[in-house]
Amino acid sequence: MSASPLVDIRGLEKKFDLTGSLLEQISFKNGRFQRKQEAVHAINGVNLQVFRGEALCVVGESGCGKSTVARTIMGLLSPTAGEVHYEGKRIDTLEGKALLPYRSKMQMIFQNPYASLNPRMTIQQTLEEPIHFHHPEWSKADVLNKVQDVMQSVGIDPDWGSRFGHEFSGGQRQRIAIARALAVDPEFIVADEPISALDVSIQAQVLNLMMDAQESRNLTYLFITHDLAVVEHFGTRVAVMYLGRVCELAPTKALFATPRHPYTQALLSAIPRLEDGRPNYIRLQGEVPTPVDLPPGCVFHGRCPYANDRCRQEIPELFATDSGGQVACHGVEEGRL
Amino acid sequence: MALLEVKNLNVRFAVRGGDLTALRGISFSLDKGERLGLVGESGAGKSVAAFSILNLIAQPGYIAGGQILFEGKDLAAMSERELRKIRGNRIAMIFQDPMMTLNPVLTIGTQMVEAIKAHRRISTKDARAIAVDKLRKVQIPSPEKRLNQYPHELSGGMRQRVIIAIALLLDPEIIIADEPTTALDVTIQAEIMALLLDLCEQENVALMLITHDLGVVSQVSQRMLVMYSGRIIEQGPTREIINDAQHPYTQGLINALPQMGEPGARLFQIPGAMPSLKNVPTGCPFNPRCSFATDECRSTMPDYVRAGNVDVACYEVERLIAQEQQAREVAP
Repeated sequence: MSASPLVDIRGLEKKFDLTGSLLEQISFKNGRFQRKQEAVHAINGVNLQVFRGEALCVVGESGCGKSTVARTIMGLLSPTAGEVHYEGKRIDTLEGKALLPYRSKMQMIFQNPYASLNPRMTIQQTLEEPIHFHHPEWSKADVLNKVQDVMQSVGIDPDWGSRFGHEFSGGQRQRIAIARALAVDPEFIVADEPISALDVSIQAQVLNLMMDAQESRNLTYLFITHDLAVVEHFGTRVAVMYLGRVCELAPTKALFATPRHPYTQALLSAIPRLEDGRPNYIRLQGEVPTPVDLPPGCVFHGRCPYANDRCRQEIPELFATDSGGQVACHGVEEGRL
Repeated sequence: MALLEVKNLNVRFAVRGGDLTALRGISFSLDKGERLGLVGESGAGKSVAAFSILNLIAQPGYIAGGQILFEGKDLAAMSERELRKIRGNRIAMIFQDPMMTLNPVLTIGTQMVEAIKAHRRISTKDARAIAVDKLRKVQIPSPEKRLNQYPHELSGGMRQRVIIAIALLLDPEIIIADEPTTALDVTIQAEIMALLLDLCEQENVALMLITHDLGVVSQVSQRMLVMYSGRIIEQGPTREIINDAQHPYTQGLINALPQMGEPGARLFQIPGAMPSLKNVPTGCPFNPRCSFATDECRSTMPDYVRAGNVDVACYEVERLIAQEQQAREVAP
């Protein structure tokens, strides 16, 4: 791991406006005009560093902001506040031509291969498009070679190029989606739940493919998932997110051996394992609060069995623990947990 | 006698260019209070199996043969009228997506009372009392208030609890749950699964759980069936199958789980994908993906053999058993 991170996210925040235009915000109540603004706080101050060659996994339940983080890094969403740096250069403010070189260095793989491939394009066209776009000077033969190359590397027969997406199974489609990402020789790939829509036996195939590609091309991954069993297998480091915040960040081994944050502990205990016996999980009280009205203090305090007054008022920051990770929890900091 | 006994059930879909066979002679039984897991990947026919038990498969699907005996009576041969007395009443079903199963324009209370009144002559007041009681059983806070709420006012986990409460309304003997937690988050999934397990045990309800998640099956069910391409390829006690799977497909499925592999190492993978119903290979449907496949596997469908307490449809297992027997006969 090199000292300077490949991707550096600083104080990232993203809000999605719920109320729309000014006129929609104004209402007449009790003889007075009132203006009400509501927003979904999808990410609230996330700091993450991705180092070259690693696979950083971001886990969390639906609505925790993990996909928003992925999309903001890729520039598909612009952050409300905070910065995204790539190789030391700030990229979230770049536009148009200035952003182009980064677009080919960073690629994304989406969750649903049924939706992410254009149904009206053949596989050949799908794979040629990014190459044409980033290397307009390449000759036809060069492009063709490249396409055949990536198809072979993901285990899709190059002769199938004239087929359309619907002619392939889910696993094959996801291979094609991976091939499309690899076509421009990226160094950093953001994968947003790439295997969640696939069957178990196919999941293993795609995970193996991604690991092979990482080895042969020296890729760096940001892997978004809700499946902790996959993380244990795939990730070098894990960031656990809850309600738009990172609550624990640790090397995979340390996280699975000694989870520190109460939420991480509950999450780990909920994985259905093959071992004998009944599910022996930590019961959390209540439900995830809405990201429209965030609770004050630690976002997890409403469900945390160890919450005290400080947790209800003060937002915990990440701090380094002795097991090599970072955790945002007052209880751990005070030595109560 | 088993509570539910499915015998040689065949289900087909009539489509242009001939029938597709979705279920090819599946047989299994469910005892009173038993928990049975049904595993398989998408397209294996597990949902078709669940739906056909209550004769719920929609056109162009139809039951082409076999029997579904519930307390000795054949559900497949029953009239719609008779069936309706059993559906929801004696055999209840829980579906995957709680948002799709609840009617969005009716309150929870209306939907629950409707379900009770469809089967019993009872006053609305009494029906509501039953509804509140069942909602309390599934640990929904302030159930009286919930009766007047609409489905969209509840979270996903709460909605699935309501669905379970509705399934329990008429004290059924069997609950068929089709991927009940797939749409939910891990922590909520664990809660719902534990709840379902407790309730089935308390009320002595038989549970047929359909899922693709081997982890869930191994924690919940006592016996399990593994389906592949419309056939049951392995069935027996869950622990025996999880610890020592016989069929190469089941073995592959278990070994492909990330939790079985060494972290960071390549995962075991089954090559290829499940064949579509349109071109199921002759012989054993798994043969193109199987590393043990012989000419026999490619030409004829294997019959079930017994290994321990497990029934497996595989020629390789048959060969291994024969070899063992031979070795035993030679040894003394």
